[in-house]
Amino acid sequence: MRKEVKMGIFGLCLVIPSFLLLSVIVVIPIILSFIESLRNETGGYDLSRYMYLFTDEGMRANIVFTLQVTIVSCVIVLAVSYALAVYMRFSSGRLVDLIRKTYMIPIFIPGVIATYGLINLLGNHGWLSRWLLLFGGTLPRIIFDQKGIIIANLWFNIPFTTMLLSSALAGIPNAVIESAKDIGAGRLRIFFRIILPLSYKTFLVAVTFVFMGVIGSFTAPFLVGPNAPQMLGVSMEQVFSVFQEREQAAAISFFTFLLCSLLGYFYIRSMVKEETARP
Amino acid sequence: MFRMKKGFTVLSALALSFGILAGCGTANNNSSGSAANTSSDSTAASNSASSSTPVEIQFYFTGSQNVKNLWDQLTPMFEEKNPDVKVNLVYIPSGTGAQPTYDRILAAKQAGKGSGDIDLYEDALSFVTQGQKDDLWDTLSTSSVPNLAKVDSKTMEDVANLAVPYRSSAVVLAYNSEKVTAPPTTLDEVFEWIRQHPERFAYNDPSTGGSGSSFVTTTLYKDLPEDAIHSDDPAIEKDWAKGFATLKELGPYLYGKGIYPKKNQGTLDLLTSGEVDMIPAWSDMVLEQLDKGQLPATTKMQQITPGFNGGPTYLMVPKLSEKKEAVYKFLDFVLSPEAQAVMVKTMHGFPGIELTSMPQDIQDSFKGVSEGFRNFNVGDLSKEINKRWQSDVAAQ
Repeated sequence: MRKEVKMGIFGLCLVIPSFLLLSVIVVIPIILSFIESLRNETGGYDLSRYMYLFTDEGMRANIVFTLQVTIVSCVIVLAVSYALAVYMRFSSGRLVDLIRKTYMIPIFIPGVIATYGLINLLGNHGWLSRWLLLFGGTLPRIIFDQKGIIIANLWFNIPFTTMLLSSALAGIPNAVIESAKDIGAGRLRIFFRIILPLSYKTFLVAVTFVFMGVIGSFTAPFLVGPNAPQMLGVSMEQVFSVFQEREQAAAISFFTFLLCSLLGYFYIRSMVKEETARP
Repeated sequence: MFRMKKGFTVLSALALSFGILAGCGTANNNSSGSAANTSSDSTAASNSASSSTPVEIQFYFTGSQNVKNLWDQLTPMFEEKNPDVKVNLVYIPSGTGAQPTYDRILAAKQAGKGSGDIDLYEDALSFVTQGQKDDLWDTLSTSSVPNLAKVDSKTMEDVANLAVPYRSSAVVLAYNSEKVTAPPTTLDEVFEWIRQHPERFAYNDPSTGGSGSSFVTTTLYKDLPEDAIHSDDPAIEKDWAKGFATLKELGPYLYGKGIYPKKNQGTLDLLTSGEVDMIPAWSDMVLEQLDKGQLPATTKMQQITPGFNGGPTYLMVPKLSEKKEAVYKFLDFVLSPEAQAVMVKTMHGFPGIELTSMPQDIQDSFKGVSEGFRNFNVGDLSKEINKRWQSDVAAQ
């Protein structure tokens, strides 16, 4: 008993520093900005800032736009990354080597520079449109448009997601797959019964990362996006520093936080399920 | 993700303010001591006319690299003539440092620590008016700074003699002279040109840069009384309706059928790549980029009448500075035609003093550009303009 108490106190001591740090830099600011977002224009407290989020036409358009960009980006990023990771795991040859060596390059290029690169490449007078012009084609509007933001998101997110998924796939033992082959399982069957379930958890982590990264992104949407509707990050910056309405900006950021925590909830729930399912 | 960022912001703000407070405390203790020493030294020096340690003034300024280059060039010129004053330049790159400098002056005042060891401060109009409310700036007069007499008295009235408008810049139309032979000369002609040349004109999102903001403001105040541009009375907001209607109607004729690039540079890039033929732009940016060959040599400028609004950059003296005499000397030098000529040549800005006080060749170089240049001072209303523009024009 005494030993257990001792161990308990020791455990608490280990947890307290990180818990304090977490509360100072995460929990308290969240609570503070939530309180701030409840202040109305006359100094009282109500939900008027949130009402504005959902009643103002421009703001509603911003929310829908942000969700669209986020969901489309997530789907494409995960599809491409998963395909790449599976291909690199189960194939070999020069091409695979080349991909393996190069796919991480975008991680090392600063966001602003990459964004300007994209503008130069995809803009109305960019390289791509000049090449297309040689063949008599014209480029649809990509820069200053939703498409531009999505393409930038792909550039920023695919490398890291691929890395994450590759490591998960690398953890699947060859022996499992070979034994499945031995008893006559087809490629698709192996994929859906073995590979997918074994990498599912990492897949969920990847979704969470991409979702949160995209929904809170700023640089690319600011430089490449349209004037209206805007991504929530851009709108937040505008409300905060141009219109100088701190409370409204707090409401937008708290709403973004809620969206992210919704995803976090599903993620944690699935993790807890796994834990309890273990004997 | 954003929670985290906000968390960091709050934390770093806390850390920063502690740091500044702590810094102020020690710095001030030192400086008040040394200030007393140096000022007595300098009086002694002027009495005996012998060499002694000069008064050192702390000059905080913010801006792009070109602003830093300017002061690096001007300060040695001043110090050579005035060996009893040494100017210590503290450069704060634009974007991050400006607000904390102001906060530092304010915090020092509130803590009873003088001027926070800042003797001269350079920034935009909004900080002049903010400091007017907080009672931070020293009132300047021609008796302490004789060259102030060369500055347009209306500009000085606008800032209640609290700041020195030492240089300005105007927004003009920049255009590709190969495509545009007869540039518009009034705002109505500009609108007409836009309608007749669809997608060949662009102005930037007014909340991201002064040239777009100027285009919007000038449009809103087009048919309003002349003195409306010096008023921050919210009653005027209802009179903007016509201007916003015009901007909204122009939308589909603009670049990309209503795309407003970000920042002053955004539209300049479009002009460079030939995607548009005419934009509103800051004259100094156009001149500098022409100089460096970043803009095509065919780019020309045209001011309209009545002019787009431009604006001076101001120098402010904190009221509680202990070295005002030395600062006045420096300000007087900055407003001298000699220093102003350097400013015009290196920054391509408009002189802060009236053109008639400048050498003839500089007067000639401003022909056609400086005429009709107007100063807008609408205070907090500019925030409302940006807000209305976002909902009425961008999100149409």
